[in-house]
Amino acid sequence: MKKRTTLEQPVMTTPDHPVLEARNLTVTAGGKTILRDIGFTVQRHQVVGIIGASGAGKSTLLKSFNRLLELNPQFRVQGDVRLSGQSIYAPEVDADELRARIGIIFQQPVVFPKSIFQNVLFGTRHHDKVLRREWPDVVERALGEASLWNEVKDRLHESALRLSVGQQQRLCLARTLAVDPEVILMDEPTSALDPKSTEAIEELILRLKTTRTIVLVTHNLGQARRVADWLTCLSVRDGAGEIAESGCCADILTNPKSDEVADFFLSRKRLAVTPSPM
Amino acid sequence: MRKWKNNVFVAVTGACALLSCGVLLLIVGAIFFRGLPAISWNFFTEQIRLVGAAGGIFYNLVGTLILISTALVVCTPVALGVGLLCGVYGRHSRWRERFMVLLHLLNGVPSILFGILGLIVFVKFFGWGKSWLSGGILLGAMILPTVTIALIERIESLPAKYLEAAAGLGLNTSQIIWSVIVPQSLNGLITGSLLGLARAAGETAPIMFTATIFAGATLPHGIKESPVLSLPYHIFVLAQDSFDPSVGEKLWGTALVMVGMVVLLSLIALPMRLRIHEEAYHP
Repeated sequence: MKKRTTLEQPVMTTPDHPVLEARNLTVTAGGKTILRDIGFTVQRHQVVGIIGASGAGKSTLLKSFNRLLELNPQFRVQGDVRLSGQSIYAPEVDADELRARIGIIFQQPVVFPKSIFQNVLFGTRHHDKVLRREWPDVVERALGEASLWNEVKDRLHESALRLSVGQQQRLCLARTLAVDPEVILMDEPTSALDPKSTEAIEELILRLKTTRTIVLVTHNLGQARRVADWLTCLSVRDGAGEIAESGCCADILTNPKSDEVADFFLSRKRLAVTPSPM
Repeated sequence: MRKWKNNVFVAVTGACALLSCGVLLLIVGAIFFRGLPAISWNFFTEQIRLVGAAGGIFYNLVGTLILISTALVVCTPVALGVGLLCGVYGRHSRWRERFMVLLHLLNGVPSILFGILGLIVFVKFFGWGKSWLSGGILLGAMILPTVTIALIERIESLPAKYLEAAAGLGLNTSQIIWSVIVPQSLNGLITGSLLGLARAAGETAPIMFTATIFAGATLPHGIKESPVLSLPYHIFVLAQDSFDPSVGEKLWGTALVMVGMVVLLSLIALPMRLRIHEEAYHP
């Protein structure tokens, strides 16, 4: 079997290398520019929020961080993304191994039509070093880390599709945690959930950041305020998403420097006070 | 005026629908009522006697089952390979469309041409003579497009979210194929195969020169010179001899058994499809 070249796994990152860093990142799809000249930095054990209007390319940006965009060959990525100082788009990097190091959670939980137990193992059982007799421990640890163990420990072999949407999202998180990624990308992970499940996920994010680094796309400013340390605001200029402003979360939310961000906040506030048109 | 036109149109289309149902009912009805008197337990368990005028169709039934099982074994792996190539690896490629056109062309090749091909390749060139294996391979090749297209359609209708989620966990393409794509598109393969087999079971042209004889064969003992009996060829031969009333009864009986088999295969496809579908949601 061909030996894969992998990213070197540094035990400790040097302080001058952020965990995740995008430099001059431009993404195009079929000739149309989606994201232009993005510079983006994530420090270890931080939660970085990405906010911005719909269509500003938030999800695209997130998927460029673990090369998930490559599943659709329409997308072209220029510039660079670095994980602990090393380019993830370098030719010798194995995209599949990279994705095991940078996990992703989607807006809608994607559980496979299998048991809860098998869902947790879904990713990790394909990676080496997990023996079959270790599976129960792996499952318990991952579900525990995702605050789901107590709710499902008596029905691990039931279908995962019987769980509530909020539980399914935590199951997806457990599945990602079982692979033991350094960075977790979250694409509006609570937008499909009820307030109680949202709260559970937010608590989880705060707890997880002691061991992982999290990039969180959200359009909920309250959520950004509650969990994010650092905030990046995307806005659309000339049809493509660009970074309007980046900074410490509290600073940006209370005192945005660019007019676009201020307008965006204002529109969100209006949305929040006007009753939804139903 | 417009309403009147509309009514005429509805009436004409309705008549077309009735006509097509009527043809089906007529065929099935005629076969059913004429064939029923021939059906008995012995008809299924006895060998052919008196050149088809007496006895049963045991070895014809066995022969047809051998032929279609061989077709299934030959066809399924190839269909899976082609399906994965077109549905996964070649999904965004330019040659995929051209290849699909070729598959549809293969689907349109008249069955007698498969028979001629078999005669040249298996019977003559390989020197197999009449053999169950050549018949099975030819029927497998004939239903390959049906099975493959059903599988590709199923693979392509798989929600992209599953593929993204699996890739996001660091699975490589072959791991995604075996843990996501194959399990979730298996019902496409099964329904496609069963529908293909239902068609293959009734084909006479591909097997008449290559695999089947009218009388004197039991179970195959090898590959060379090892023909089987079969239901469609039995009907073909008896139909040329049907002025004898006892032959006529056996003829209709055999036809009824074959229709029953085809219906059965189509019916198995139905619950299997439903069951797998349900398993996906409530295992």
